[in-house]
Amino acid sequence: MLTEGKALKVSITVSEGAMYHGASAYASILDFLFYRGVSGATVMKGVAGFGADHHLHTTGVVEVSDKLPMRIEFIETREKVTELLGKLEEMAGSGLIDVQETNVVKAAKFSKEQKAAPEHMKMEGKARMMRIYIGESDRWQEKPLHEALVQAMRANDIAGVTVYRGVLGYGAHRRVHKEKPLHLSRDASIMLSAVDTEDKLKSFLPVVDRMVEEGLVVLSDVDIIKYSWRAPELETD
Amino acid sequence: MKEQFEARMLRIHFGESDKWEGKPLHEAILAKCQELGMAGAIVYRGIEGYGTSTRVRHASLWKLSRDAPIMVSIIDREDQIAQLLPHLDAMVGEGLIAASKVEVIRYSRAAGEMKTS
Repeated sequence: MLTEGKALKVSITVSEGAMYHGASAYASILDFLFYRGVSGATVMKGVAGFGADHHLHTTGVVEVSDKLPMRIEFIETREKVTELLGKLEEMAGSGLIDVQETNVVKAAKFSKEQKAAPEHMKMEGKARMMRIYIGESDRWQEKPLHEALVQAMRANDIAGVTVYRGVLGYGAHRRVHKEKPLHLSRDASIMLSAVDTEDKLKSFLPVVDRMVEEGLVVLSDVDIIKYSWRAPELETD
Repeated sequence: MKEQFEARMLRIHFGESDKWEGKPLHEAILAKCQELGMAGAIVYRGIEGYGTSTRVRHASLWKLSRDAPIMVSIIDREDQIAQLLPHLDAMVGEGLIAASKVEVIRYSRAAGEMKTS
């Protein structure tokens, strides 16, 4: 990754319609830079210009020119630029490449923090499933209880949770309200299902205790067959 | 109020178009649960799936065909579940019933009327 200090700025100017191996040259160059691990690159489209052929190219109203200048710029260390220049010269074809010395005052940073993999990444084998049954209209501190529970689980690093809405149902927690105990409730039943290790769920139970006034928490043993965790993609801006 | 006890969970899987005595099967099962005084039952509709008949069931694409996968979940004491099972046997023609042992924590506002034996 590029750091503060001396560096080189490379500008490659090609025609928009220029081709390299059957694909547009500027896009091929950008791909090349991307996959060779360049810190960042920008493609800019000129609105008018002229080059070696001394033809003036502009965007006509009637015809859309494909000869407008395209400029690809990137900043890298001298070593990296030296490594790439040969191939870039080939790809730029009849275009122009210029290199200037520059000074990086502030290097760009990853917009997402690179975090170490959480411990439950390797979770497999024996685990526990926790299902929480509540009503859709239940609230906790002015927000729907199921949303609050999902946030609480996230904050407590529970591996994952899914919220389900029942289409029909009745339950013990609805029953206490009703005069007729078996009356069918139209307030949808919500079920949250989470899987994690016994310890993690056990340490989360006091939170459930505090938040759920009325409802059911059901715990059961499960075997985790697969729990794969996708690393966040690197941002290359 | 908080109680903790062992219980059993039943999950019954079938299709939304399945019927029992002219009534949608999930409604019939719910009615039977209420009649037998089961602690609770919830019906879930899946968005896609396939089952015993290997028909692919799709809720979103054919809203009108109404043959989405349905799952009814029932949690109660062992003896209550045992009482319900023969009825389910008769009612569920084509489907699946899965049972598992679970631990339950029940929160209620008032001293509940549910018998936890």
